[in-house]
Amino acid sequence: MRNPTSNPTRTPTAGAHGAAPSPAATRAPRLSGLTWLVWRQHRAGFWTLLAATALSLAWIAYQRAGLVHHLTAEGWPGSSPDRWLEGMAPYSAALQKVAYGLGFIPVLLGVFLGAPLLAGDLENGTAKLVASQSVSPGRWLATKLGISALVVIVCTSALSAAFGWWWGPVRNESTVLGWSEGSAFDNTGPVPVALALFTLMGGVAIGMLLRRTLASMVVTFLFAVAVQVVWQYERLNLGQVVTVNTTKGVSTDAFPRLPHAALQIDQSYVSGSGETFGWSTCVHASSQQACLKKLDIVGWSVDYLPISQMSGMQWFGASVLLALTAAVTAFVFIRCRKRLV
Amino acid sequence: MDVAGPAEESAIEAYGVGRRYRRGWALRDCSFRLPAGRICGLVGPNGAGKTTLMAIAANLLEPTDGTLTVFGEAPESVQAGRRTAFLAQEKPLFRRFTVAETLRLGRELNPGWDQRAAENVVRAGNVPMEARIGTLSGGQRTRVAFALAFGKRPDLLMLDEPMSDLDPLVRHELMGVLLAGAAEHGTTVLMSSHILSELEDVCDFLLVISAGGLRMAGDVDELRSAHLRLQGARSGADAGPAQGGAQGVPAELAGHTIVEYRTSGRQVTALIRPDGPVAGQWQTDTPNLEELLLSYLRCPDAPPLISPVAQVPGRAHGFDDSRASA
Repeated sequence: MRNPTSNPTRTPTAGAHGAAPSPAATRAPRLSGLTWLVWRQHRAGFWTLLAATALSLAWIAYQRAGLVHHLTAEGWPGSSPDRWLEGMAPYSAALQKVAYGLGFIPVLLGVFLGAPLLAGDLENGTAKLVASQSVSPGRWLATKLGISALVVIVCTSALSAAFGWWWGPVRNESTVLGWSEGSAFDNTGPVPVALALFTLMGGVAIGMLLRRTLASMVVTFLFAVAVQVVWQYERLNLGQVVTVNTTKGVSTDAFPRLPHAALQIDQSYVSGSGETFGWSTCVHASSQQACLKKLDIVGWSVDYLPISQMSGMQWFGASVLLALTAAVTAFVFIRCRKRLV
Repeated sequence: MDVAGPAEESAIEAYGVGRRYRRGWALRDCSFRLPAGRICGLVGPNGAGKTTLMAIAANLLEPTDGTLTVFGEAPESVQAGRRTAFLAQEKPLFRRFTVAETLRLGRELNPGWDQRAAENVVRAGNVPMEARIGTLSGGQRTRVAFALAFGKRPDLLMLDEPMSDLDPLVRHELMGVLLAGAAEHGTTVLMSSHILSELEDVCDFLLVISAGGLRMAGDVDELRSAHLRLQGARSGADAGPAQGGAQGVPAELAGHTIVEYRTSGRQVTALIRPDGPVAGQWQTDTPNLEELLLSYLRCPDAPPLISPVAQVPGRAHGFDDSRASA
């Protein structure tokens, strides 16, 4: 009250540094402005996320060491897979288990980080508090979303890289962990990052619309599960199906050899004119041979996805998800201009 | 006595400001100006639109209609954002922050932050700096929120029901801090309340809104002296069923603007805006602020009164020059 700094230029007064710095401020790298505020407000969540990621990375590294130990003992990589695939069951189970856990990360991020990010501030009125300081709401929102997205990107890409590194030695063996399964496809490359960002921003937008933390967490959970289900169905549609036709009859040994680790999508009979028939055609005919002959079946037609497409499919899917994320983010910013509190 | 010319700077100018929610209009066609440097009371019953008006000025809401400027700038401009501080009714604070961290928030986000002023407000209430906001009592929290608004050193300080959860002693102390600070720095204060007595001693300017519309605006003394309170006995001639509104008003008052006319038994009380000398057997006095407010709030049909100093150019309102000079 009685300080004489009433000049209109308003230089920061010496009193501004009168308060003893809090212990957290001396420990952490010195943050300032909105970055400090956002980190301080959500630091529990961010630290939990970073710590959980570090633990998971350590666990993955330990597990991979075990896997590699087993493989080298069996002469990997020189020896044939048939030899080292024996006794793979526990290692395969460990991969599956961790992959299953990692699959929940987008849902957890959406529910526990995304949904309360704005809903909490809108519910408690702290959005008003921040908006009445000398910062624009847009910058506040950008900082909040930016830091959250950064933490999520760092954590999910580290986990993605680590899981890919663990799975790498056996990635061509679909008996261990098929590349087209969610366990492998959704946990490596850009996919986990994109899925996490999309559910995160979905949660933020839901929180912004509902303005209630608990309600938006519940709705975000349903949203995140729906995303997972849709993704599950659409995953294989990201690839270009390759078809191989044979002309050497339909006996078992005439079945075409697919590339190693390819995922077979469909198989059917093909006639001389190139027409395909479901492979159960003629199952109920009295003489299968006569039936097949009548239809002029000359061989198999097999649809498959080679493992070489995996990376392309992942990037294509991730870019679709990121485009959706960008659209949701734009919506959040536009709406924030209209009504923040 | 403030004799304000139109050249005086405006803290707020509103031109036909309206805001509609899904339920309907919360604020409608509000035009007024608040000259800089005033302590202004914003009065109205609950749900009258006080908070909406402040939220528009504080850039928390966009008006549906009209425009409002803060020191000549749009509320969303950087300049307006720096020069205004708004203390919302529920005094929101981050519950997990300590008091010191809350003040740091003010320091980090406001270029003109005055740490000493903010700390003085907190210390005067013996609020420990290391305490978490969530552990403080309601009154202590209000004090911290107040310190945060105060430390920003705004040119326009808007307080929405600021004193509602403070005991009389603290209320008095904080009001003293506020007024001393406002006087020292020339701060314009806009303070809402539905408790008239809270504002009577501190305000020199008044905005009254009810049911979303502006009812009265202007300098307190000017508003008071523009009115007359009449008391008298009811004469037998017009002893009809005279209740409420302007029903049964005697002919001798016809030339004046009647705000309120009430009878109880044989006693008649009227609040008028006189237009020339008042004829008849009346005991006249100048109403106090509370009587004036109550009359306007009780009678929503009375024509609004916007004194010249509170008028914005191009929006004439019920206060013509002959009355202004009265």
